[in-house]
Amino acid sequence: MKISFTSQKKHALSVFVLQLYMLLILSFVLVSSCTVVKPYQKVNLNDSDMKLSAHKTERFETNYQVYREGASGANGGKTGGGCGCN
Amino acid sequence: MKYFYSILFIFSSVLSFAQTESQDSSRVYKKKVLEAVEVDFLMSFYSQNGQHSAVGGGVGSEKLKDNTPTLVVNIPLGNDDVLTVDAGISAYSSASSSNVNPFYTLPVKTQSGSTIIVQTGASQTGAANLETSAAVDDVDDDPVSTGPKPIGSPWYASSGASKSDALKSLNVSYAHSSDDRNEIISVNMAVSKEYDYSSLGFGAGYTRLFNQQNTELSIKGSAYLDQWLVIYPTELNEYRLYGDDFLNSGYFNGVEVYDQDMNVTSDAYNPSAFSSMSKTNRNSYTASLSFSQVLSKNLQMSVFMDLILQSGLLSTPYQRVYFKDRPNYYIGQSSDIEYYETTKNNGVYHLADDVERLPDTRFKIPIGLRLNYYFNEIITFRTYYRYYKDDWELEAQTASIEMPIKLSQKFTFYPSYRYYTQTKADYFAPYNTHFSSEQYYTSDYDLSTFNSKSIGFGVSYTDIFTSFKIFRLALKKIDLRYQNYKRSDKLKSNIFSFGFSFVVDK
Repeated sequence: MKISFTSQKKHALSVFVLQLYMLLILSFVLVSSCTVVKPYQKVNLNDSDMKLSAHKTERFETNYQVYREGASGANGGKTGGGCGCN
Repeated sequence: MKYFYSILFIFSSVLSFAQTESQDSSRVYKKKVLEAVEVDFLMSFYSQNGQHSAVGGGVGSEKLKDNTPTLVVNIPLGNDDVLTVDAGISAYSSASSSNVNPFYTLPVKTQSGSTIIVQTGASQTGAANLETSAAVDDVDDDPVSTGPKPIGSPWYASSGASKSDALKSLNVSYAHSSDDRNEIISVNMAVSKEYDYSSLGFGAGYTRLFNQQNTELSIKGSAYLDQWLVIYPTELNEYRLYGDDFLNSGYFNGVEVYDQDMNVTSDAYNPSAFSSMSKTNRNSYTASLSFSQVLSKNLQMSVFMDLILQSGLLSTPYQRVYFKDRPNYYIGQSSDIEYYETTKNNGVYHLADDVERLPDTRFKIPIGLRLNYYFNEIITFRTYYRYYKDDWELEAQTASIEMPIKLSQKFTFYPSYRYYTQTKADYFAPYNTHFSSEQYYTSDYDLSTFNSKSIGFGVSYTDIFTSFKIFRLALKKIDLRYQNYKRSDKLKSNIFSFGFSFVVDK
């Protein structure tokens, strides 16, 4: 059986996935908020790949995404300045 | 070359400043926020192609190349403060932008056998389309009543000055950490300039860490005050300069204008919907909130939210729009009119009915989530999700995953994938489908419904002992990245970027 989605259904599905993701994050926060990770236990968290920010060279990709897509922000990149019109 | 020297000058200035500072602060020992001056040389090479040029009203080549040499210097000032100077250039050439004035003439053979090229209209200087220029006729706007007739095509780059430009930018920021390192106050200022656009920005932020630095809350505000130097498409600029008689004056004097049936018309083309922009500024105000939480010894997450308000001239004044309820008129080779929307069109250009018109305010709300998981000594998962909505009814979602794989102590491989989807803004419609009765309209496909996929990889080399040195610069890390981007409307791009991170030896 072939399943096809209209764009509206796709969008509804995406919103559902987002809500599920948010719920997951919220659960993590609630479950772990009582747990304190001591500084000496943060070896893995201090790994450079665990940083909660983009890589330095990723800034260029973020810039072009802002130019070529309608959405921007909430990624540590620029939120203004420049026309992005080329 | 002068940009290179400018960057070099800034670099040498901050280095000497940092050296003085480090000597002064070494008298009393205290653990520094940043131990030594760090220098990053970053560079990217970007190329793209597509078939929905916004300058061509949704039709035409989107070929673009952009190179961006950038220098970032982090300087410790005392024990608690860090000054960051970030200077860069974005040098681009764009087929789409070049067609602000798409008209040119082919080389012709003279009777003596020599070849001459006759430039028409404003294409030689690009300045003749300026809103502010009252004397544009003196620059390059002579009639072409004799000689070869002008042609143009949205599928080819024109020779006009607007085909290339360089965006120069400088961002200086300063951060102060409290003695217990649980509070950070930061301020920044940014300027950028390209031919038709300049920007001045500033911001301030406050970060608070608590719960033994397992939780971090951050708030930041910023404002960008931008200014357009307004440029219009050639045909509309002529209409603005000469009024209803513009077909017998300036550029259009003697130029043949064709209708859809390839017949020469006299005074039929009249873009009466067009009027000059009333505003030339664009301001952006942002309030950013972020929350980070350590969830376990191997898991941490962050939530970001921005509230962005833009006001002023939010449309791009040289992006054409064509109305379905207005007759079509062309300049160039009339035989190409039937192929106008295909790459077979070598020499005819559709004259605009108006330029893009968009509301003068836009309110955006993006919410982003990052979740990073340390799976084991070799593999880490970095995930990101963003939901975006604005009051132009554009809604978008972004999801990406990167999986750093440590190949050895020094080398890491980064495969990555990103998916993006958006619904169109209220004001978007494709080429020649808007109606003149609409208040706002655009045929810029960046505001259309599409999805995009990016796949890429990166390689990094890290030397914690910084054994390789160039004068006083000790190499700490090299990053190489490649991304291939495909949009569902056939726009494709490739970006290759790299970065060299150095620590300055004391």
